[in-house]
Amino acid sequence: MSLILLQILNGLQYGLLLFLAASGLTLVFGILGIINLAHGAFYMLGAYAALTLTARLGDIFLALAAGIPLAFAFGAAIEWLFIRHLYKRDHLQQVLLTFALILVFNEIQQTVWGNYPLSIPMPSYLSSSISLTADLGYPVYRLALMAICIVLALVMMFVIQNTRAGRLIRAAESNPEMVEALGFDSRILFRIVFATGAALAAAAGILAAPVESAYPGIGDRVLIISFVVVVIGGIGSIRGAFLGSLLIGLADAFGKVFVPKFSSVLIYALMALVLVLRPSGLFGRQ
Amino acid sequence: MLKAPSPRALVLLACLLALFVALPFFVGPYGLKFATRLIVISIFVVSLDFLLGLGGLVSFGHAAFFGVGAYAVYFISSDEGAANAFLALGAGVGLAAVCALAIGAFACLTRGFYFIMVTLAAGQMMFSLFHDTDIAKGSDGAYINIKPDVTIAGHTLLDFDDRRSFFYVCLFFLIVALLALFWLARTPFGRIVQGLKANDARLSALGYDVYRAKLAAFVVSGAVAGLAGALFACIDGFVTPDLFAWRQSGLAIMMVVLGGAGTLFGPILGALAYISLEEALKTASLVGDFVSAHWRLGTGLTLVIAVLLSPDGLAGFLRAAPRVSRRTRAAPSRPPAAARKASTLATRTLSKTFGGLRAVDDVTVSFAPDLVHAIIGPNGAGKTTFTNLLSGALKPSAGEVLVDGKNVAGMPAHTIARRGVGRSFQRTNIFGAFTVEENCRLAAQAAHPAILRFVDARRSEDDATIAYALDVVGLSDRADALAGAMSNGEQRQLEIAMLIASGGSILVLDEPLAGMGPEETRRVVDLLRDLRRNHTIVLIEHDMDAVFAVADTLTVLALGRLIAHGSPDEVRRNGEVISAYLGGHAPQEAGA
Repeated sequence: MSLILLQILNGLQYGLLLFLAASGLTLVFGILGIINLAHGAFYMLGAYAALTLTARLGDIFLALAAGIPLAFAFGAAIEWLFIRHLYKRDHLQQVLLTFALILVFNEIQQTVWGNYPLSIPMPSYLSSSISLTADLGYPVYRLALMAICIVLALVMMFVIQNTRAGRLIRAAESNPEMVEALGFDSRILFRIVFATGAALAAAAGILAAPVESAYPGIGDRVLIISFVVVVIGGIGSIRGAFLGSLLIGLADAFGKVFVPKFSSVLIYALMALVLVLRPSGLFGRQ
Repeated sequence: MLKAPSPRALVLLACLLALFVALPFFVGPYGLKFATRLIVISIFVVSLDFLLGLGGLVSFGHAAFFGVGAYAVYFISSDEGAANAFLALGAGVGLAAVCALAIGAFACLTRGFYFIMVTLAAGQMMFSLFHDTDIAKGSDGAYINIKPDVTIAGHTLLDFDDRRSFFYVCLFFLIVALLALFWLARTPFGRIVQGLKANDARLSALGYDVYRAKLAAFVVSGAVAGLAGALFACIDGFVTPDLFAWRQSGLAIMMVVLGGAGTLFGPILGALAYISLEEALKTASLVGDFVSAHWRLGTGLTLVIAVLLSPDGLAGFLRAAPRVSRRTRAAPSRPPAAARKASTLATRTLSKTFGGLRAVDDVTVSFAPDLVHAIIGPNGAGKTTFTNLLSGALKPSAGEVLVDGKNVAGMPAHTIARRGVGRSFQRTNIFGAFTVEENCRLAAQAAHPAILRFVDARRSEDDATIAYALDVVGLSDRADALAGAMSNGEQRQLEIAMLIASGGSILVLDEPLAGMGPEETRRVVDLLRDLRRNHTIVLIEHDMDAVFAVADTLTVLALGRLIAHGSPDEVRRNGEVISAYLGGHAPQEAGA
């Protein structure tokens, strides 16, 4: 029983982290129409940045507070340098350019941080466990992580649903020409959206760092699982990304226990099932 | 459509071939292995180009089939003696084809962005399968201790362990794969595959099963990738889950685009360029220690620049100048033999709701053969929805669509098209990358819409059909023009020509006159009057002068409901219609 509770918690925690990463991916595709393969690299850079920032600032949460604006600025710069040339091009070229960016980012990571897995310290005041049942303790940091993910997700949803910027973003998603015609500079809007996507991925990477540590290739894994989440949830749908993330998180957690060798395969099988039933994902537009 | 390589490209390919044939005589074992790897990767990327460049299906999991092909050789080899080489390669091709069929069955349900992500995930699933489980020693990889050979009656004729002969085997298969895919691209099957890239909605409206076409292209391409993988396994005699990694798929796409997607030979140049670049950047004596330590940065940046600067790839430099030939052909005046007898199209209590909106509400109407039927009504009356229901582009919420009395409601669009319902779209819908003649040929081929046809058995019959269709719409002298580059009016004429060529006996036309000048309008009106001899024509049109000039019956829709149906005179006198929709075309009461 406590194993099941434990795996539910683990699944939710992984799912919430995934949601941060996948929501950025789905936002960027839904609004900019860009397939960003380099999205996982933002997560990876976030995880490594957590190492450096924690060392400098002394605390993972300070690292998060500093890392989000840094990632936002970095994302905006990448958009300005490369991505904005791709809006009018086809998927293939987007795939290629962002794939090439991964090679570049990975080289930067190897040059700056080296090629070994590095662990990032948990803040000492959260490194204990609390007991949930008589025989089950759960690390406090993981609970805090879940809480922060939920807060970030709520903030994002509030911004998109209730603010002027959010309205513009939703308007741009359905009709970018019209938003332009109304006098808004969609170039700035697009840059903000791309930078937000990068910041979300990096935030997930920073938060995950003390749990997962930072290692080369971490971005690839997150990228592909995020793709699965987006396909399951429906492209461009934040709600779908949320549901898909939790679904994948739980499937992964239970798969690891019950069918350890096939847990990854299980996730893809889940995706295949959703596609057969709903080829545009759970909340995708036909 | 795939063109033959230009003379310049052929010269380059011939030089490359000569170079490779001579190569084993002046490079060492390392060089020979490098060249073998290059050739095997070339087979892999050429197979991807068939899917991606010709079919427009961006598969990001192609390495899965490469990996499966390699593992097949491992499975079939034993430590007791060499496996038969034919068997080993055949196993690679076969296993890859089976995997492609299984993965494609899901992936081909999707399109665009979803297709890219689903193939990526599928490739990664194969990686996990071979990485996480104990199949073939799991993540460590496994050795093929004795490489396959060809031994007949105790004589070893060919041994894959012999570097030089194996090199020639690979070169042979590259040439075979290239020629075979080139041939395939020019068969009726290849034409359909290229139609997928140009316009899959149109392909479906012509009566082709798009899903099966995609799946067939996926399997062909996967099988050839399996061959490449099987050969690759024999280079080092080592297989590892990394063969499946999505980066391999990414690099393959990179090489295809770098070399020139959709040319089949271009990706070979891409592979050559990329692998040479990587090798050069890794060589410290060539570029210095700093660059060679960071060779990934170099390749990454080079690729970023290549994508931004050159969308057409290396083969773009070798493209032949566009041929401008104006063939005039003798147009037969008789209709093609394939033209069927016109059928009756009818609906019974047909309805379509979108959420709470009843876009088409309980419409029962019949369109008799050999007449022109016009559907009119104000904006939002449900006219386009109605035609979409007729052609199967939308599924009805209730009611029936009857072709010669048989209910076709709920059938896929391509099945309804095969019953003889051809349609044009409100926005012109043609294969822009094809010439006028190629458009019509793909349409004519739809009279026998099987996907897997490799011989143009009915070529002369199709030629006659095409010539007739082009003559009818007045495009005979434009047969070699690129469809996408023609005027809007010409494209509309082409669309009608395609419907005629496809042998459809019921033509459903959504605003065929939209955007046409007076001259073109007159031409199409005459054409429609002429076509009604052996077709049932149903059209939506806003140009009332044209409607009254051409229509034998009028059907009036308003807010999704049928409010009048009858001869133009009857409808003209219908009070409800007069007040709302006809305005100046109603009989002048005062003067009467």
